[in-house]
Amino acid sequence: MKGDKHNRSGPSGGEMNDLRLEAARKRLAESKGQEDAIEGLREIVANFIGSEEIVLFKVDRRSATFRVFWSFGIDPEDYDLPRALGDAGLQHVMRGECHVEPPDHNRSNAVAKVKAFIPLRFANQTVAILAILRLLPQKVGFDRSDMELFKVLSDQAAGPLFGPNAHSSAAAGGSGIRA
Amino acid sequence: MSKKILVVDDSKTALMMEREILERRTTYQCVTASDGQEAVEKAQLERPDLVLMDVVMPRMNGFEACKRMRQQPGTRDIPIVLVTTRGEESYMEAGFQSGCNDYITKPVDGAELVALLQSYLGE
Repeated sequence: MKGDKHNRSGPSGGEMNDLRLEAARKRLAESKGQEDAIEGLREIVANFIGSEEIVLFKVDRRSATFRVFWSFGIDPEDYDLPRALGDAGLQHVMRGECHVEPPDHNRSNAVAKVKAFIPLRFANQTVAILAILRLLPQKVGFDRSDMELFKVLSDQAAGPLFGPNAHSSAAAGGSGIRA
Repeated sequence: MSKKILVVDDSKTALMMEREILERRTTYQCVTASDGQEAVEKAQLERPDLVLMDVVMPRMNGFEACKRMRQQPGTRDIPIVLVTTRGEESYMEAGFQSGCNDYITKPVDGAELVALLQSYLGE
């Protein structure tokens, strides 16, 4: 997949996917503090996944609650994570698996109903959950390349966001939601 | 001499990606700007062969930057392709009213982007 200046066609699907993954990793790794990491996360979701409705929930293991840490394009107060995910879905995500809701084909706006919940892992624990709540109209759904990008976010976003080098200045307030 | 593209986006991620696609898959030279104001200034200075520009940006958005470039003799004929998350017809119409030549929506498809650029610049 290395640069081939003589091949002037557009990148293939596989190459495009590799480029996205590489750019996402690089953007997260180069984040300068927590605010920049949050901006990087928003940019990755908007530019590569195709969503502008996102909520980041921070997990408080001691109190077994989720707190809205940051959101974009949605009023997070209206959003109940445990109810949206259900017990089984929540446990699934807390174990480190992404949870993607398939489109509801009985609805006319099925695409808009596609959702994904991505565990952000740090030191083998889910420390936050990224909820992607609506896709842009031109994006028809999640595909395999999105799943690979979810994995990158799951493995590499929590460090810049909540790791030892992150600053907590961007932490947004939010009401606690019981797990 | 290779053709020059001015890529404009306030998102570091989008700039990184678009630049990477262009550098790997075309012979075009790439210069960047991170908002509309900087784009207008760089377009005057660099005289690119094409401008690939995001719409929603701080300081000056893509529509306004497009209008400004169209008002200036040195940049009025440069093809401008806008990149946006919004694909609604009314939004695209606003883009064309501002003077853009074409539109591409996010998430950007690399093959579509390269084909579109080549349609203006050739290979």
